[in-house]
Amino acid sequence: MAALSVVCAGTIFLYLLRESAPVFFAEGSGFLTRSDWWVGESYGAGSMIFGSFMVTGIALIIILPFALGGAVFTSEFLSPRWRLVIKSVMELLAGVPGIVYGLLGMSMLAVWVKSGFGLIDGNTIFTAGLLLGIMILPTIITLSEDALRSVPGEYRETALALGLTRIEMVWSTVIPQAVPGIIGAIFLGMGRAMGETIAVMLVIGGLDKIPAPWFDVFQAGQSIPSKLGREAAEAIGSGLHWNALMGLGLTLFLVVMTLSMAGNMFLKRVRM
Amino acid sequence: MYICKYSKKWVCLLVLTLVFMTRDFSLLWAGERETLRIVGSTTVLPIASRAAEQFKALKGGTFRITVNAGGSGVGVNSVAGRRADIGMISRELSDGERRRFRDSHLTLHQVARDGVVCAVSSEVYEGGVRALTKQQISDIYRGRLTNWQEVGGPDRRIVVVDKERHRGTRHVFMKYILGNATARAPAARLVTGSNNEEQAKIAQSDGAIGMLSVAWLNEDVKGTGIREGDRVIEPTREHIVSGDFPMARSLVFLTAGEPKGLAREFIAFVLGPKGRRIIENSGYTPMPATTTAQVTTP
Repeated sequence: MAALSVVCAGTIFLYLLRESAPVFFAEGSGFLTRSDWWVGESYGAGSMIFGSFMVTGIALIIILPFALGGAVFTSEFLSPRWRLVIKSVMELLAGVPGIVYGLLGMSMLAVWVKSGFGLIDGNTIFTAGLLLGIMILPTIITLSEDALRSVPGEYRETALALGLTRIEMVWSTVIPQAVPGIIGAIFLGMGRAMGETIAVMLVIGGLDKIPAPWFDVFQAGQSIPSKLGREAAEAIGSGLHWNALMGLGLTLFLVVMTLSMAGNMFLKRVRM
Repeated sequence: MYICKYSKKWVCLLVLTLVFMTRDFSLLWAGERETLRIVGSTTVLPIASRAAEQFKALKGGTFRITVNAGGSGVGVNSVAGRRADIGMISRELSDGERRRFRDSHLTLHQVARDGVVCAVSSEVYEGGVRALTKQQISDIYRGRLTNWQEVGGPDRRIVVVDKERHRGTRHVFMKYILGNATARAPAARLVTGSNNEEQAKIAQSDGAIGMLSVAWLNEDVKGTGIREGDRVIEPTREHIVSGDFPMARSLVFLTAGEPKGLAREFIAFVLGPKGRRIIENSGYTPMPATTTAQVTTP
């Protein structure tokens, strides 16, 4: 089974490499650094790569305090019954399809962002980041909570016996032990965020540009999966456009693979 | 004894396999139905899907018709790649497409006439912007005009809504406004895909401008007339048919070579009286009754 997965991943990688080769010959490294993408003229993926990282970064910055706080609270301060309820709800939410988030984002979140920040339009990088944060919250909470619970009870008992308060015990003893697992959870959440297509596509604005001051997250942008979602059907099969889209796919594949492998490496150290 | 037991198992297996292979399983395949696949422009889609319903009800039978969106570009690509039987397009083929798909012998069948309107949010329309000149729209999309006040509307930033590059509606709009079907729009604030999405985004905003098919206007999304000199050409059916309205276009079914069988019957149905009624009820203009218009690309 393990060999099969490796073979699958390897095949996908080789296919992407083969299909995207022409655009790398045509554009060189400019494919990854330039941000001008206009079919028929030039293929610079810079705006998409920037958008993907920006949107994931915003998602993490916004959601990590809530996710980690929630995980700590659930693991250390809730009774077993409530912990079970929360875990079940989180695992349920983690399975909600992206399109549902996308529709809710388009009809509610974009409107709130627009009126809340006084923008001319609510379809921005920030909106996409916020939506992604909400999407990966259940995943990060569940996995972090697992990591925290896997810290052996002796640590807690010893700390309490030494006279630390409950909160001190959690902060100085339990959390440091669970850090590898928490990092793993964050990486896996990032992997999901980078690959999310339809939810981001509906609220990010679809504009292939890096915003004018690059940190202005209240402008529209583009992420790699969103671009693929919008243009893949038009270019299927052949032509430099197709090669360019495959190049985008290859970039995303490598980034998400790396994040997932790193995440799993960290999580292995905390398996219950 | 040992060997006998195992060889008995293998013999049984062999016999069963031989028996299995002699059976006639064509009955299973009889359940697989013929499918007519239609893909492409979201402008033509309402016509195709309503016609498909009526066509199936009329003909009976076990065939299926699937109608999918994706845009004009996807329609062309799918037909050329034999992933669809009929492509729906709402613009002319580009030179690039003609070149790439020369071997597919793409054949166009005009089914209706439609107009592309410069659409604005209803608040802008109510605020006084009923018509715009070509130059004004061009300046807006190029970023030279940024406030509705500059064209007689309320004091509000213009939210410029662009479309995906391959969309039929965009080709027709840009060809007239910026002179080139695949021109860039530097001042675009956001990019949408289907007519549906464009309509939703313009309706949600209170200061948006975009490009939309006439049949998709509603209370929240109003169409502006084109001002040329003194007169204003409204996007009405008469002006579209007469050719006065500058952004009139044909809605076309595309096939690879001559359509055969189900595809040919379906196209004939859409061009017939029932089809024409569907087209009218969907908000488009049917072709004149004597049309068997067919243009083959070289």
